[in-house]
Amino acid sequence: MSVLDGIAIVGVAETAIGKLPGRSAISLQAEAGAAAVAAAGLTKADIDGVFSFSGYSQAMMLHAGRVAEHLGLRPELAVVTDVGGPGTHHAALLNVAAAIDAGMCTAALCTYGENGISIRRSGRGRAPGTLTGGEDFEAPYGQIAMISGYALFAQRHMHLYGTTSEQLGAVAVTSRHHASLNDNAHKRDPITLADHQASPMISSPLRRLDCSLISDAGGAFVVTSIDRARSLGVPYARILGYGSAVTHHIGSQAPDLHELGGPVSAERAFERAGLTVADADAVYIHDACTFSVVAGVEALGLCGEGEGGPYAESGALALGSDCPVNLHGGMLSHGHAGGVFHLLDAVRQLQGSAGRRQVNGAEVVVAHGNGGVFSTFSTMVLGRGQ
Amino acid sequence: MTGKPRPDLNDTATAPYWEAAARHELVLPRCDACGLVFFPPRELCPGCWSRELSWQTMGGGGTVWTFTEVHVAFYDDTWADDVPYVVAVIELDEAPRLLANLVEPDMDRLAIGDRVEATFEDRPEGLSLPMFQVVPS
Repeated sequence: MSVLDGIAIVGVAETAIGKLPGRSAISLQAEAGAAAVAAAGLTKADIDGVFSFSGYSQAMMLHAGRVAEHLGLRPELAVVTDVGGPGTHHAALLNVAAAIDAGMCTAALCTYGENGISIRRSGRGRAPGTLTGGEDFEAPYGQIAMISGYALFAQRHMHLYGTTSEQLGAVAVTSRHHASLNDNAHKRDPITLADHQASPMISSPLRRLDCSLISDAGGAFVVTSIDRARSLGVPYARILGYGSAVTHHIGSQAPDLHELGGPVSAERAFERAGLTVADADAVYIHDACTFSVVAGVEALGLCGEGEGGPYAESGALALGSDCPVNLHGGMLSHGHAGGVFHLLDAVRQLQGSAGRRQVNGAEVVVAHGNGGVFSTFSTMVLGRGQ
Repeated sequence: MTGKPRPDLNDTATAPYWEAAARHELVLPRCDACGLVFFPPRELCPGCWSRELSWQTMGGGGTVWTFTEVHVAFYDDTWADDVPYVVAVIELDEAPRLLANLVEPDMDRLAIGDRVEATFEDRPEGLSLPMFQVVPS
């Protein structure tokens, strides 16, 4: 038994996604937070824990207390987690589970979101080069954007395994197809492989359509005990297994592709769940770029090492396949505000509320991916509440 | 234009690295206890946590482990006069990997595994950055 066994994700919500001029990140988080509490069948008075992260585009310290104040809450707990990527939200779940088990919390609100577009236009965005820790030894060389860090891995994958730009393009095209089934996605107009190949090079080998979006958006979820969730009578997701792995921080210190933490993180999560990837009805991979999905399907064991490119090209990522990937459209097309939307859509699949992109009868859904640049991996195996 | 990012030259753990670079020498810390040569410099050995370290001069040779050609000046105009520029991870012959720019790259021929050797770029106020150049084969 683990404290994770006893918790339920009962309510999820997201704001409009795209260009939302004048909206602060915290206002987007608060809007999503209030909606998530309502979706859980709870009220403001029920929330006694706040877990959050400011996001990076308008980074703030002591953020969870700010969210609590913004929403007029006086919780026992206000905790920030900042692991990077999905690990940030997964670490909140670990914290909530421990707090609920310890009797310190009965219902927690977890909020995320950024105003990545609008903050930049206001000139108040974060200083470049501070996110991946290369201030002394990487930023002076112009290694200041996350996408350039991913490009280094994509280039090496192409060299070692023969992965092609067209295979990365297949990820972009599929993500956009999924987004076309999602009325709240930032980019919904279908694209073709030719569009991908014609898009300008950003940081070779990655083109513009290989890059995740920058969005203004907020997302939130509510966590409580399974007993409470049952009494509320709302559909919920539960945690079947969790794993994580950290290998390095700055780009030059990364191990080689096959030694990154993804496979270890996934193996730990599946082992704790007593399941394999064959049991997954859908997976959600933190797609900072198209290559992240290629690396992710390999790490999860959906294909072999180095086979992620052909796997993507085969159509195996799309709705209707055995294990579709990023059905909400991912950060490539649905929106990028810290990556919380993968977890939210995984929960929706298990609640049966994913609309046109619903996998019928989904029982097991996996949220996986990395923070930093392939430095902190995190894998959450979720199951349908019973 | 606020100028290109600069390392902290006054950090006692890394200052000898930058002082050597200013002399156009590439030096890395070597652990006296376990022999590990490592990067980036820090006050203890990441292998065994010994604080007994020496500075070892590198030969300057290595290979391209991976690279990217950056086509966009991100965030502001700091790098606008430099694009496109190449960022590479170099595997030194002494084993550690570090990140630097490739000087005068031939993009039609550049490939992972290419041999490189260290060179240095002088920047304002006493800063020199180790860079690398492909050795013609």
